[in-house]
Order: sequence, then structure tokens, then C-alpha cells
Amino acid sequence: MKILVIVSQTQDTEAKIQVSAGGDSVDTADMKWIMNPYDEFAVEEAIQTKEKHGGEVVIVSIGPARVVDTIRQALAMGADSAVHINGDGFAETDPFAIGKLIASEIKKLGDFDVIFTGMKIIDEESGQVGVQVAEELGIPHVSLVSKVVEINADAKKAVCQKEIDGGHVVVEAPLPCLITCPDAMNEPRYASLPGIMKAKKKPLTEVGIDDISFDGLGFSKEAVSKEGARVKTTGIEVPQIERKLKIIKGSDEPMVKGEEVANAAEELIKLLREDAKVI
Amino acid sequence: MSNDVWVVADLKIDGTIRKVTFEALTEAKKKLVGGLGGQLCAVVLGSGVSGFEAELGKYGAEKVYVIDSDLLKDFNTEGYVNALGELIKQNEPAVVLAGNTVFGQDYFPRAAARVGSGVAMDAISIGLSGDNKLQIERYSHSSKAIQTQVFHGGATMMATVRPNSFKAEESPTTPEVISGSVELNPADISVKVLELETKASDRPELTEAERVVAGGRGLASEENFKYIYELADTLGAAAGATRAAVDAGYCPYDMQVGQTGKAVSPNLYIGIAISGSVQHFAGMGSSKVIVAINKDPEAPIFQKCDYGIVGDLFDVLPPFTEKVKQLVSE
Repeated sequence: MKILVIVSQTQDTEAKIQVSAGGDSVDTADMKWIMNPYDEFAVEEAIQTKEKHGGEVVIVSIGPARVVDTIRQALAMGADSAVHINGDGFAETDPFAIGKLIASEIKKLGDFDVIFTGMKIIDEESGQVGVQVAEELGIPHVSLVSKVVEINADAKKAVCQKEIDGGHVVVEAPLPCLITCPDAMNEPRYASLPGIMKAKKKPLTEVGIDDISFDGLGFSKEAVSKEGARVKTTGIEVPQIERKLKIIKGSDEPMVKGEEVANAAEELIKLLREDAKVI
Repeated sequence: MSNDVWVVADLKIDGTIRKVTFEALTEAKKKLVGGLGGQLCAVVLGSGVSGFEAELGKYGAEKVYVIDSDLLKDFNTEGYVNALGELIKQNEPAVVLAGNTVFGQDYFPRAAARVGSGVAMDAISIGLSGDNKLQIERYSHSSKAIQTQVFHGGATMMATVRPNSFKAEESPTTPEVISGSVELNPADISVKVLELETKASDRPELTEAERVVAGGRGLASEENFKYIYELADTLGAAAGATRAAVDAGYCPYDMQVGQTGKAVSPNLYIGIAISGSVQHFAGMGSSKVIVAINKDPEAPIFQKCDYGIVGDLFDVLPPFTEKVKQLVSE
């Protein structure tokens, strides 16, 4: 089987977020860059699929030079090779163009069976690139898959479970198809030391923006920029919600105990009625 | 290109319309329709979906496009994309909105790619920029930041809106109904539903609820989640959970609140035995009032809530729920 994974590098949103001087993006100067957590599930699912059915796992990633660290991490986890669409302007363009660029490079990779990618990226949190790549490639997608029940390369089908409001649905999609991954579908493995050593020697193809043919993409090279975006981020703010922090504690130790419990419950209800006016 | 604003109805599996549809119609009428000078329209895609025009007209829809096809039964990505894509190509509306639900996140960006439109996901406000382009606000960076996004170019502008972000208000009209302008082809539907299981619940849906009671890993068992359900039902609230509680098997995935799972912004959020991770707050941090009950005084949630009790949930919750019951019965 040929299994592709679209992997993104993202800012670690556990960190404190600060607005850049321009006011329309997040200051990335001291940011830690990590593999998008949802893409880790995608890489893991791809490797498990390879372990079951044989074949190869190819990583496809877009972004500036720093993205190579994330690609090497995926290779160290067990992927076989990678394609890096290398350029600086991608972060400022919109997902619409990103999806088209990724799809155009995937078309050059020949036949494949399945593509895995994260349900969204944790910085932009937009969650549209995966399904847009599927659209560009003319293949079906199944989004937010909680469990891959079966992938059958011979019968050319994938059976996937996804959670919907109030229940779940099991669908069968013909291969090739694209699957987007939320968390909890598997336990992503850590890269082993031998894996990290091996990853350094695995093939990584660099594609520069000048190598890309824009014929038929519906936009020009110049459009891969902030100016070319169909949806522009013009401002960003970090809202500070002032919370009241009225915490009821015990008298001897932090926890309320014994008789204090009933009083605490009473007091909380009073606060919700009279202070917050929500019940 | 017309100046019309469309809202695609978000249908539940039981065939009723989700509240977010009426919220989007109301907000679109207030913020977009006047400025653009077109009509407010609704789009209904499904199977056996005739007769919704009265309900949609109640919230201001002047025109209702209906595609009623067996191929759209129980939601179908390809059917939805084909139907909506074709409708947009035929009519070229200025703006198309939909709910940012499990289904909306699935078909809507793909439909946008189909018609060559940019799309903004999960808007919490909508409006028009100086030159009459759609302008929205949305959360990003694990909901720590709010972005403003503005459309440009000539294509239809498409966005999903977060449920519970706007108030649905009636503004009755009698809409014109336009049915069957797209024919769907069974050969275009390649993904088949093998199994569909939903269970009816009397509790409100998480994303629509005014109040949410959620439990964390500290509940320690599926059995103990009865405390969450009891308080939720007493308050008429939806029941939620953290990822840790869902992973531990205490409750189903559709209760998960957070970066993965549901984003909620109720008036009242009560978190029981929830530590308050960044990922959890990404899904509920915009709640109006946040209440925490947790035995760990160092839990991060106590740094970002309005009210709280440091206490063992098994001590605190029974008397608390009892008192709320008394209050409700009064």
C-alpha cells in the first residue's frame, strides 16, 4: 500500500500567546514549533496501516525550512520518505491556496491508497485543508474518524467509524480516500533513538516555490502571500476575560470538610443567584 | 453575482432543524442583508424535507431552496457538496453561512473548494467591512486569541458560525419555495453508510445549551457520572466531559468538550473534578460564568473560574444538587 500523511508544523499553543507588532498575527519569535498534535495521530495511523498491510508511508508537508524538524520526527516514528514544499509565504496565505498546492504535489507522487491528516491545526484551528485536498484530488473523504475499522487494499475500501451528535456512524469509502484524524483514535508512538538515527538518511525531496507549476491551480505564484489570500486575517487580539475567582475553601485546610460542606453548597448557590444571577 | 445571503439549514438525524440555523438567519438579517441589498434565503438539503419553509420564514427567510433526495438521507458528504456546490454555481449568492457542527465542518469547506470560494470556519461574529465584504471574528490558538478575518475577491463568501453565538429572534415572512433545481446522481455517491446508531436524549445538545455541567477524570467511573447527569437534569443543562473522562470510558465521545470535541459557550458552566487544561479551556473558556468544584486547590481551573468550592465532589455535589432541586421546585 502507498499511504500518504499530510503533516503540519504548528506553534505550541500551550505557550503564552502574544500579538505581533503588526497586530495581525501572533508573535512567533520565542515560539516553540511542534508537530501538529492531530497530525501525530495521522502519522501513527499510517504506520499501523503499513505494519498490517505492508507498503510505504510518505509524508507531505508545506512550510519554511524549520518544517524539516517535524518531517524528520515523522520519519523517525517510522514513515519512509517525505516531500517538503519549501517556502516562506505559506503561513500568510489562506488554507484555500495551501490545499491546492498540497494536492498539486500529491498528484506528482503517482497512485496511492489512502491519505491521513489531522482534523485541524491547533494554531489556526480552521480544519479545512484536509477535505479541500480531497476535493482537489477528486477523491472522497471521511472526516473526524474515531476508529479505522478496516482498510482493505485488495477490495479497495476503507471502513471507518465517526462520532456524530447523539451516536456514531460507520461508513465505507472506496480507496483512494482521505481520512481526517481527531485525537483518541490511537496512541502516537515516540520516535526511538535508532528511529531518529535512521530518519536522517531517509529520502526527503525538497520542492521550492519555483518548482511548482501554477498552471491550472487557479491562482498565481504571487497569490501565495497575504495579498493573494481570499480570506485575510486583518487583526488578532488576546482577550483577557476577568474572572471573579471567588473560591470557597475550608477553614483548616483548603478542602471543605464535614459541616463546612453544606454551608459551602449554600454559599455557592447564593453566589450563583445573587452575584452572577444565572440560576 | 447576486447580493443574496444564504443560510444552509443544519438538520439533526431526527430530521429537525438545529437552533444554529435560526441564529444564523437572525444575525445575517441584522448584519448582512441590509448592507448587501439582497434577500435572505435558506437552503434545505435532505430526504423528506419539504414543509420547513414556515419554520425558516419565521426567522426571516424570504426564499427557501429545497433539494429533497433519498441520496441526502442521514447526511451524506458527497450529496451535500454536489447539491450545495451546484446551487451556488446556479445562483451565485454573495454569502453562504452554515452551522459549525460535525456535519458543517465536514461538507462546507469542501463545497467552498468546489466553487472556488474562500471559507472562514467557526465565526463568533459576522458583519460587513467598509467595502461590503464579509468580515468575521473567530477563535484561534486554542481559543486564546480572536482573529478578525476579511474576505476579498469576487467569489461567494462562505463561513460556518459557532452555535450559541447569536440569539435567534423571530421576524416572520412567507418565503418563496424553490424546489428541485439540482438533480443528484447515485453514481456520484461513493461513501456508503453501513451503520447509524443514535440514541434520543431529553437533555439539550451541548453546543446549544444555556447551561452545561461537565465532569472530569476525578469522577472515577461511568457509574459516578450519574452525579453529573442528576445535576444537569436538575438545571436543564447539557452534560459534558473532559477528554480524560471520555478516554477512560466514563461517558461517550459526543460529550467531550475541548479543542477536540465540542466548543461551548453557555451562560453557566459547572466543571466537576476538572483540572482545567489548555485543551479543555479551548472548548469552554468563553462561557459567561465558570464554576469549579475540585478537591485540588492547585488545579489550574481555580485560576480562571468565577466561583468554586475546594472540596471532594462526592461530599459537595449531593447537598449542592439537593439545594438546587429545592430552588427549582420553588
